[in-house]
Amino acid sequence: MAGAIPTIAEAARQIAAKKLSPVELTRACLDRVHALDDKLHAFYHVTEERALAEARAAEAAIMASGPKSPLHGIPIGLKDIVDTKGLPTTCGSAILQDNIPDTDATCAEKLAAAGSVLIGKLTTHEFADGGPSFDLPRPPARNPWNTDHFTAGSSSGTGAAVASGMILCGIGTDTGGSIRGPAALCGIAGLKPTYGLVSRAGVAPAAFTLDHIGPMAWTAEDCAIMLQALAGHDPRDPASADRPIPDYRAALGGRIKGMKIGVIHHFHETDHKVGTATQQGIDAAVETFRGLGAQIREVQLSPLQDWHACGSLISITERAAAYEEWSRTRLGDFGERMRTRLMLGAFVTGVDYLQAVRRRRELRAELQAAMADLDVVLTAVFAAEAPKLDALPRWDTFQQPSFMMPFNVAGYPAMSVCSGFGSGGLPVALQIVGKPFQEATVLSIADAFEKATPFRDRRPPAA
Amino acid sequence: MPTPINDAAFEYLLARAGLTLSDAEKAELKSVCDGIATFAERVRKPRGRMAEPALTYGFTEEDL
Repeated sequence: MAGAIPTIAEAARQIAAKKLSPVELTRACLDRVHALDDKLHAFYHVTEERALAEARAAEAAIMASGPKSPLHGIPIGLKDIVDTKGLPTTCGSAILQDNIPDTDATCAEKLAAAGSVLIGKLTTHEFADGGPSFDLPRPPARNPWNTDHFTAGSSSGTGAAVASGMILCGIGTDTGGSIRGPAALCGIAGLKPTYGLVSRAGVAPAAFTLDHIGPMAWTAEDCAIMLQALAGHDPRDPASADRPIPDYRAALGGRIKGMKIGVIHHFHETDHKVGTATQQGIDAAVETFRGLGAQIREVQLSPLQDWHACGSLISITERAAAYEEWSRTRLGDFGERMRTRLMLGAFVTGVDYLQAVRRRRELRAELQAAMADLDVVLTAVFAAEAPKLDALPRWDTFQQPSFMMPFNVAGYPAMSVCSGFGSGGLPVALQIVGKPFQEATVLSIADAFEKATPFRDRRPPAA
Repeated sequence: MPTPINDAAFEYLLARAGLTLSDAEKAELKSVCDGIATFAERVRKPRGRMAEPALTYGFTEEDL
């Protein structure tokens, strides 16, 4: 195992063939945690004994009757806003340092039921929003491609841990880009599913109507494997969709020929102009898809700034409402970034919020119409590769509109895949957006892109 | 451009939200209030009184 970091799909094949031991795989991941996490700070809590016990149990069960799913015996991590029974769940906050939930979040429960092995709880921006902050109980995660650089957030630990091979996959959450952002800057794959597809029950809220839970892994195929375990109706989540769940992995490898792919050029070329490496990555991806037989179309939507304003007002207000009690009584116990985020809520009126919600409906209808004759649309995830961790603007939300927020506003599935590397040697990414509940299409196109390009062959130096 | 917030309104909104801030925090926050107002202007469109918000109830069999 030393040196080799398998994908879930590869490891699952070897485990099923009894050529790879889940215990051996888990030990290899734990060895990487011991070797790397002092530099990367991806974990808050490593569950070593539990992981080895789960791996031994998985191994015994697989030897007796074969794997119950491709995740059986696979080492995973959970963002530390995901409730885990009997294990600390701090949300990255001093306020919850002693919090030990008595139930599992639905997503944790489902991954455990699929037979995965929990390696630990992963670093997050405080309550999935306030970060990176250097005044929290634990330091922020660092980018395995260059530890002076940002991972993006808020699923920062998941991005760093997957990219460096400390886990094969992990849970991220995404309110305005917190799955896709760390996936992009850490060079992995991350899927924000359709709103309602994956239960939010037992996961700390950031903004109720924008929050999504989803997979982060090295490849689109691994995201498909993980989504298969995660998707499905949950009465514990009031926004959970009750729909049939397709076989996501079976959809991979389908033909791209004849697919219709839109490009929202104005988002990344004029509304928020991206850097050279990102633009080249998108242009090359378009040519790759054209070469695979897809039809490419231009897509025009409202300016990116409109989507960003709408999502930001909703996000600021819903967060302020969720954390109002602690804002009033324990504001000083939050880290400085979360504190400032919470303060913003005082300046959004009820009418502002409701106008944003009305605007949301219009924007969503606009996207629906624009995608009526398309399979997916493409744009950027970030403008450039990861900035330095100590050089981040404090109020970037007012300076640069997010490429990811539109698809939280609309609730559409959106995925980040690595599309190359910048001049600093860090990854850049492409965003692939599908229609509601068409994750299979998004994953299929992402998988085809990964297989047609060399970017999955390169791991970060820290790994 | 939105009208900049005045000191009285700023203090009132903070008090109403129950937030106790240092002078430095107030100064920083005041510097970004215009950003919120700009967001709020962006979502205001001529849409008339009948335009529904995003969340409307769709009752199912289970609600009956």
